[in-house]
Amino acid sequence: MKKPLLGAFQLPSSKKHMVGPLQSIHMPMRRFREYEEVDYAIVGVGSAGGVLLQRLARAGFNVVGLEAGPFWDTEHDWVSDEAGSHELYWTEPRVTGGSDPLALGANNCGKGVGGGSVHWAAFTPRLHRSDFEVYTLDGVGADWPITYDDIKPYYEQLELEMSVAGPAYYPWGHPHGYAYGPHPMGGVGNALIKGCTALNIPVSIGGPVAILSGSHGDRPHCIYRGFCIQGCKVGAKASTLVTHVPDAIRRGAELRDRSMVSRIELGKDGRVTGIHYFDIDGHSHFQRAKAVIVSGYSIETPRLLLNSACPGHEKGLGNSSGTLGCYLMAQAGNVVMGRFDQPVRMYKAPPAHALTEEFYETDPKNDFARGFAIQTVGPLPVAFGKQLLAAKKAWGWGLRREMMDYNHWAAFGLLGEILPWKDNCVTLSKDKDRFGLPVAHVSFNLHENDKRLIKAAKEKTEEVMHAAGATEVVQEARYAHLVGACRMGSDPRTSVVDKFGRSHDILNLFVCDGSVFPTQGSANPGLTIQALAARTADYLVSQGERIFTSNERNMKTSSMRRELAPPEAWGKGVPRLK
Amino acid sequence: MKPPFDGVDPALCPRDPNTGEPLPPRKQPGYYPGFSTISQSPFWDEATREVIDKRVKHPPERKFFSAEAWNFWTSVFAHLIPQTDRAIDRQIPIVAVLDHRLAINKTAGYRYESMPPDRVVYEIGIEAIDLEAVHRYGGKFLVLPSADQDRVLQAIHDGRPEAAREIWKRMSVHRFWQMIMGDAIDAYYAHPWAWDEVGFGGPAYPRAYTRLERGEPEPWEVQEQRYEWLPPANTASAEVDSSQSHHTESGQHSLLDRLSEEAQQGAKR
Repeated sequence: MKKPLLGAFQLPSSKKHMVGPLQSIHMPMRRFREYEEVDYAIVGVGSAGGVLLQRLARAGFNVVGLEAGPFWDTEHDWVSDEAGSHELYWTEPRVTGGSDPLALGANNCGKGVGGGSVHWAAFTPRLHRSDFEVYTLDGVGADWPITYDDIKPYYEQLELEMSVAGPAYYPWGHPHGYAYGPHPMGGVGNALIKGCTALNIPVSIGGPVAILSGSHGDRPHCIYRGFCIQGCKVGAKASTLVTHVPDAIRRGAELRDRSMVSRIELGKDGRVTGIHYFDIDGHSHFQRAKAVIVSGYSIETPRLLLNSACPGHEKGLGNSSGTLGCYLMAQAGNVVMGRFDQPVRMYKAPPAHALTEEFYETDPKNDFARGFAIQTVGPLPVAFGKQLLAAKKAWGWGLRREMMDYNHWAAFGLLGEILPWKDNCVTLSKDKDRFGLPVAHVSFNLHENDKRLIKAAKEKTEEVMHAAGATEVVQEARYAHLVGACRMGSDPRTSVVDKFGRSHDILNLFVCDGSVFPTQGSANPGLTIQALAARTADYLVSQGERIFTSNERNMKTSSMRRELAPPEAWGKGVPRLK
Repeated sequence: MKPPFDGVDPALCPRDPNTGEPLPPRKQPGYYPGFSTISQSPFWDEATREVIDKRVKHPPERKFFSAEAWNFWTSVFAHLIPQTDRAIDRQIPIVAVLDHRLAINKTAGYRYESMPPDRVVYEIGIEAIDLEAVHRYGGKFLVLPSADQDRVLQAIHDGRPEAAREIWKRMSVHRFWQMIMGDAIDAYYAHPWAWDEVGFGGPAYPRAYTRLERGEPEPWEVQEQRYEWLPPANTASAEVDSSQSHHTESGQHSLLDRLSEEAQQGAKR
């Protein structure tokens, strides 16, 4: 046995709380008393909650983030192992149904500080201009109450804060470039390049992906070990756990982990007064707050608001429109697998490292509106076994035999836009969780446009896989990325929150996460969720104390405050094209 | 020296395609002879090393299943992921992992509305499989010859069980199959011996992978060395079926649902 180059890899002293191998959190952090009225209580410290916590703390507000899961110490808690990473996912009970039931759990939000951003693959394309006016352009879906230009500065800023690696020239949507260099290719990326090139389809390689291609601040660069969606121990992949939470804590924010918020309390004056939550021992608490921001993702956010129903808000808090929980979206995420004569070894390199958005926009030649992207994915053995189970009905000896060829397969994922439909919704189930709270029931049904789009996307992705040289191509139908169910809009009769995430009904209640998306495009939502959170934070900061007292709804957009970004993200160049 | 088929029925072993003779169990099936992910554990971080070491050396003890249920599922999983090509001391525990999951009530984080809770699934699943076995071959699952056991499970795989209709009203045939196969895959392919079998490099933090392109092995991985083998003669599970073109999730189920309806109508006639 050769000795490891750097000696045996021992855990760091258990006194230090590590987020990534280089960053340690200085404990103890600030603690607010429950009878103290904090400025902001944030429910859920995930992609959006982490950014809000950091921004509001840096602006000087007293802010506490409540997170149902643990505050990860990545060196002690995380492993390079599929089965050992189950705790990263939201595995509290839920019920799923409808004609095309969504798989939940590992397939969407996370449980623990950083939320889903600790187990995403980290693709970070922007939405396109057209995504913000789907109803105007195509007569389907909805328009956003903001435009691409409203969010563009935040895209540029968050790409620096997450440190998105990508090409110097990214040709789709609003063409732009990335400050951090693209990643080298693995076997799956090579297959996508080869297939696209043979069919004359432009392809972006090495990003955009929120994984460091060069070390940055106190985060090391990627080591290509392929365990992105098992939580990145390396700290190279962006999650708010490593990008924003450390700065938030340094700036005096409190992070209260293992705290399950059960109910938002409404006062007699029609403003929220704080939140009820259960601690790890099941004891009930009440935290007073001048304003509440819900950042629990597309299932837990509507569930909490529905569970907070009270006199005057019998249908759920902030649900005068009756649309709370409705217009839930998932992207079509069919996985197309191709077998190659030569080994591919798809477990190496990040699963996310090449894509094409050539089919993103509505094409009048199609029999459907909107479009799709084709991306690399790199399933590890357990995930791949389940894909073979679905795609080839493999079991027993057949499965064993197919799996022995694991290294000969490459996998592409399509990412197809599914439109917002009212009957795709989150409601409360009769099932109860361990705290006695009704769990979420998710109902999902594909509609005609969705089915046509998926069919076309699947056929195109299969064509690319064949063109790459695959001798056998099979596919599994699945979905990715839940958004919607608490959508933003200008009209209080058809939406839950305004363009800053503020409840139409309650002036000091905000929602800020993927649930506010009116439509979803065929871009992975992570970047947009964080960009919206930074934008909401700027709005809150610009309004100052008025949020807590005034009955006025100021709709004026504030300018971006770069000084609220974590310090390492200042002053980096962004290639601008056009 | 142990006999080559030590404790394993040669009729259940894979065969040599040229001679048709059964192949003796190996310490390490698959196309990567000598490759060992565990041999690399000094290069892993400590937390990962601990988790995987425990998985290999200390599989969980029986806590949830009764002894009868344990035996029953052991028999079933021996068909879902057969291991007769593995030396007895290199067979990967599956039921122990499942038992532990049910004991701590660990779930995927959701329940299909067409399915009861997981623990109930494994309770009524025994009855459903037994009823199917009696209906087809006149005996409970455990007493049937291996080939008949295979065909009972094949009927459920195909979505066309003919018995236990009351149970299948409470539990989707297709989702049931996905759950038991999912549990089998979760346990088997999480084990380092299965990684060696399929040529997966395993954990690589903090050392990294360095040969990203062209499917090349790392210096500590090995080149593939293929050999020909046939599944045992009487198995129903050797065939795979990728002929169906499914565009949507519901499409993926419609074949099974249709077959299931036909079977039920056929039974009525």
